[in-house]
Amino acid sequence: MSQLPEPIPNTFDEEKPRDPYWFKHAVFYEVLIRGFADSNGDGTGDIRGLIQKLDYLQWLGVDCLWLLPLYESPLRDGGYDIADFMKILPEFGDLGDFVKLVDEAHKRGMRVIADLVMNHTSDQHPWFQASRHDPEGPFGDFYVWNDNDELYKDARIIFIDTESSNWTYDPVRGQYYWHRFFSHQPDLNYENPDVQDAMLEVLRFWLDLGIDGFRMDAIPYLFEQEGTNCENLPKTHEYLKRIRAEVDRLYPDRVLLAEANQWPADVVEYFGDPASGGDECHMAFHFPLMPRIFMAVRRESRYPISEIMAQTPKIPEHCQWGIFLRNHDELTLEMVTDDERDYMYSEYAKDPRMRANVGIRRRLAPLLENDRNQIELFTALLLSLPGSPVLYYGDEIGMGDNIWLGDRDGVRTPMQWSPDRNAGFSDCDPGRLYLPVIMDPIYGYQALNVEAQQKSAGSLLHWTKRMIEIRKRHPVFGLGEYTELNSSNPSVLAFVRELGDDRMLCVNNLSRFPQPVELDLRRFEGSVPVETMGGVPFPPVGELPYLLTLPGHGFYWFTLPPASQEA
Amino acid sequence: MLTEFLTGWITHQRWFAGKGRPIDDLTVDSDLELAPGLRHLIISVRQAGAHDRYQLLLGSDGDESARFKPAHIGDGYYDAAYDACLTGTLLEAMAADRDLGPLRFRHLEGVEIDTSLRSLVLGAEQSNTSLVYGGTYICKLFRRLIPGVNPELEIVTALARQGTTHIAQPYGWIETDLDGEPTTLAMTQEFLSNASDGWALALASVRDLYAALEPSASEAGGDFSGESFRLGKATAEVHHELAVAFPTEVIESPEVKRMVEDFRRRLAVAVAEVPQLGEYAHVAEEAYQRVADVAREMPVQRVHGDYHLGQVMRTPTDWVILDFEGEPGQPLAERRALSSPLRDVAGMLRSFDYAARHLLADHPDAEELRPRAVEWAELNRASFLAGYSAGGGHLRAEDAVLLRALELDKAAYEVVYESRNRPAWLPIPMAAFQLDR
Repeated sequence: MSQLPEPIPNTFDEEKPRDPYWFKHAVFYEVLIRGFADSNGDGTGDIRGLIQKLDYLQWLGVDCLWLLPLYESPLRDGGYDIADFMKILPEFGDLGDFVKLVDEAHKRGMRVIADLVMNHTSDQHPWFQASRHDPEGPFGDFYVWNDNDELYKDARIIFIDTESSNWTYDPVRGQYYWHRFFSHQPDLNYENPDVQDAMLEVLRFWLDLGIDGFRMDAIPYLFEQEGTNCENLPKTHEYLKRIRAEVDRLYPDRVLLAEANQWPADVVEYFGDPASGGDECHMAFHFPLMPRIFMAVRRESRYPISEIMAQTPKIPEHCQWGIFLRNHDELTLEMVTDDERDYMYSEYAKDPRMRANVGIRRRLAPLLENDRNQIELFTALLLSLPGSPVLYYGDEIGMGDNIWLGDRDGVRTPMQWSPDRNAGFSDCDPGRLYLPVIMDPIYGYQALNVEAQQKSAGSLLHWTKRMIEIRKRHPVFGLGEYTELNSSNPSVLAFVRELGDDRMLCVNNLSRFPQPVELDLRRFEGSVPVETMGGVPFPPVGELPYLLTLPGHGFYWFTLPPASQEA
Repeated sequence: MLTEFLTGWITHQRWFAGKGRPIDDLTVDSDLELAPGLRHLIISVRQAGAHDRYQLLLGSDGDESARFKPAHIGDGYYDAAYDACLTGTLLEAMAADRDLGPLRFRHLEGVEIDTSLRSLVLGAEQSNTSLVYGGTYICKLFRRLIPGVNPELEIVTALARQGTTHIAQPYGWIETDLDGEPTTLAMTQEFLSNASDGWALALASVRDLYAALEPSASEAGGDFSGESFRLGKATAEVHHELAVAFPTEVIESPEVKRMVEDFRRRLAVAVAEVPQLGEYAHVAEEAYQRVADVAREMPVQRVHGDYHLGQVMRTPTDWVILDFEGEPGQPLAERRALSSPLRDVAGMLRSFDYAARHLLADHPDAEELRPRAVEWAELNRASFLAGYSAGGGHLRAEDAVLLRALELDKAAYEVVYESRNRPAWLPIPMAAFQLDR
């Protein structure tokens, strides 16, 4: 390790000062290194390729990149099966490349966070190999071993498509090992203090290299306890507090993002103690919101969203939700009822190949039948509902998917940069690509690519860029209170975001048909709403209900400036 | 002087029942100062033998310029329901259980009333004026006064004391004695600020179905059947609460037969007025006869009485049932009469039919879309009934006969109503007689 560069100095300038709460108003962009840009022509994207595209991401308005796992791995689970926490996967580059990526991103005022799997390792990890071969050795107790498969029967099986038990027998050690996910991913034994210390060491290693934070994968499952469902246990929270204290002590503006696919009421536990403003994770994903946005628009009724927002508890002051429409995983339906899941399947995944585990594996554009109005409405909701939005690479140009690829690969195809060979992603022989580029007549790269959309002022890409700009001009989207407004029309979702005098009125028509709505805006009487896309002032708010008409799947964002004094 | 202005003004009010007939006499029966600049009046209007009483909040020292124009009475007087500076008095008096002259202001025990909220008149209605305080309370000011306690006040206060969740929480009321009878002047309830009525929600679903490429009510995106199920459940729960809070009875078979006679009489009236119904009258006759044939004991209780999708509100968390006023236009005693809860169920089933079909009225593709409407109605009717059973509603196999008869009785009433008022909609209730249910 001695050849490593020094940690990154503070390269944020006057305009982009270091801000401990930057994540509360940041726009995140999830990027698959493998699928973004290939710099060396081997058919697989790499870190140097990503560095070449940072200017594009800066242009788009991205504040923070979220990288999927980039560690040494046998790649049996897209890299979530980590074989060495302190090495970069050779196809992606090396630690020097990574440090350069962080450095170049920081120069552009962007940050970088990466996935880190806390719960388990690959069965190829040296810790596991040592553990199975030498039960008495220093790693003998690094994993959860048992003589039979009778313990923790109340824990559900997550990957129901492939796994039949959470225990697998290891003939080498002659015992069963515990795994909440694939059988080639043994769970680490957090009851062992050495495991806790070893993982803290891993975190410090990357933080010292300048990384701005982690998305901590599968966080609810760290500990096990008989008689429970082995999720969200108190000991898990204790350990998270320990991690957070270490981060606060040495790395004050880094962020911990919890991936806990649970109900909001359970997820808030991962923010920690509200009295301290939060002492566990800075951020957590709001999982149930996303399927409900889809459901609401499909039903032309705001109630699926209203309900989940009403059930979402307040979070500690210095914390933030992460919200998303689509990501590299399936559109997960764990947080909906059975009826709702059937409904989502029948509406959005008519072909069984579109389904994976308990979810739907499709990208945003094909889910919405490539309807530009709906794509815009969904993106507007993503950018205006409470939380920091996470865009998925390629969705800014409306990329398609390939349901004929296995598992979740259908939504992980190469980024479409240009109409050139391999969509401009790589100059290798097409057959060498890690996955084929999308070539169908609607979403194929010849027509649908960044280059073409950058040239066209009316493209989805330019529209998305403009919306991100508007969002960034108004910190209220990240920091403001959320209040749903009474609307007499069940197809219209209206809400106000408020942060002092920065007030944003968002009105969304979830119906495919034009709709009127009357809003009670008496609280803002005298204010002159200004539409944010064009800056057009609308009639002032009076005492009577404020009438708006919206086109099908239309939306408005209005600023509500304080009423002028003379009026 | 004042009475002259009132006579000119009252005839233009939406809630004035005697429109188009000359006013013989207008007198002030009661005049009470509630606060400086705010008086409460009860006035009598006599028109060719008819005598109606109305109440009025009379303002005199507010700013009666542009803002109060619709409420302008004359000579500086105006309808103070529109003056948010004065209406706070009502909330304050209710919160304090005040007695002002013959008026008694009351609040429901155990509730707090925020008296700082300002009011806004929310649309005008036939019989009352609604004031919305902040986004929190709605105060219904009954305009035309009918002696007696308002049935809705009676029901929601009783249900609230039992902790029922499917109603809008009552907060307070104003009453006085009229002809020696305690009479409700106003009532204040929770304002369901983020709710929309079931009719609007159902139509969103139907519209979506009509526009779907592959039409199937259960597969179309706007599927409403989950809501119908939950609504059925809420209905059953409210029926149960009503049976606990108020007396119940079991009526014997002779009375059931009398009820069937009423059905027949109403059918005959409908056929006389709308001859094309005659062609299908046998369908109803047979349904009524089946009830008479199997007539036996029938449990009765307080019911909603005018139950349809427009009377239920979807809040972000639940269905809430409004307007327990009983059948409109009926005398108070009849509105409070016990009845089979299946009458409400039948009303809602009819409402699903209306929701499914009313967009067809002048639709160019009506013929093509009719099967979709039928499918939507059948699906949601079935879901509602399933929810009603799941919620503990009494719905046994043998009740189907009675339910069908109640539905046709309602449809016969609708036939008359539509032929008089909205001939384009006449095919909606007519279809009820043509379907083999």
